[in-house]
Amino acid sequence: MTLTSFCNLLDELFEVDEGTIKGNESLEALHAWDSLAILSFMALADEKFGVTLEPRALVACKTVPDLIALLGDRITSE
Amino acid sequence: MLDPSLELPRQPFDLSGRLILVTGASSGIGRATAVLLSRLGARLILVARNEQRLLETLRSLDGQGHRIEPFDLTAAEMIPAWLRNLAISEGSIHGLVHSAGIHKLRPIRVLSPEAVEELLRIDVVAGLALARGFSQKAVAAPGASLVFLSSVVAFTGQSGHSAYAASKGAVVSMTRALSVEFAPQKIRVNCVAPGLVSTEMGKELLDTLLPAQADALRAEHLLGIGAPVDIANAIAFLLAETGRWITGTVLVVDGGYTAH
Repeated sequence: MTLTSFCNLLDELFEVDEGTIKGNESLEALHAWDSLAILSFMALADEKFGVTLEPRALVACKTVPDLIALLGDRITSE
Repeated sequence: MLDPSLELPRQPFDLSGRLILVTGASSGIGRATAVLLSRLGARLILVARNEQRLLETLRSLDGQGHRIEPFDLTAAEMIPAWLRNLAISEGSIHGLVHSAGIHKLRPIRVLSPEAVEELLRIDVVAGLALARGFSQKAVAAPGASLVFLSSVVAFTGQSGHSAYAASKGAVVSMTRALSVEFAPQKIRVNCVAPGLVSTEMGKELLDTLLPAQADALRAEHLLGIGAPVDIANAIAFLLAETGRWITGTVLVVDGGYTAH
């Protein structure tokens, strides 16, 4: 998946306007990285990438690039 | 002398001579149920998609005459004819346990219609097709018993479980309706609502929770997390003579989860 499509998924997840998330934000700045958001992200990773992520690893994420790093080469630059 | 009208059987859980079909028999609650029922004397038809795993269950059974029946229950329109053919080759069926199921933890903001349909397809669409097939004259033996699997989530709210709760709540409702519809045929219909059980599915759920959430969920089960056999025991109770005056009900087996 391209970085742009991934960011669009995050826009939906965080319920912000499409194009808001560019891929370099801090999660704290989004004010929404709570347990439900973490569960939602895990569900997305499962459905879109077939990846099972550890909740602990997600709690440790501070930025959108941290999330991208967890998905490795499943996210392509464009 | 004991009053003969009490009709107390020596072995109330005995299932000798009974033929019972178990869906989801390749793992978890379905597998434990199949093994327990075989120990109580029943002959089993084991149903699931994965033949290898069904063979593993088959090897764990006591007694003779069991068979595996690999089948994809999402092909619901095929179920009634398939059950009729099974009854022709194996004889009429005394019990059916629908323990095939999937679990999806999906907060509403990422819940897709496909995920909802996937849950309902196994619990409700396949469940009702099994009921339809089972109730055919040539299929169910007199006094037959049908057991569905619901969940405590049907009764207590849990975040991220709206679709799963809808599906498991539907199981409770269809159990009641079917019990009325099937009573003239002497087919009993009940369901069991487990709390958290240490199956692969239960472990997957715990793995998706943060440590504090998982600890809280464990603590809410006053008697600890259940084992598959705890649910199998309840299913056996509903299938055997012990359940002969029970229909249209839900048996909650949850280590006290819904008690508080």
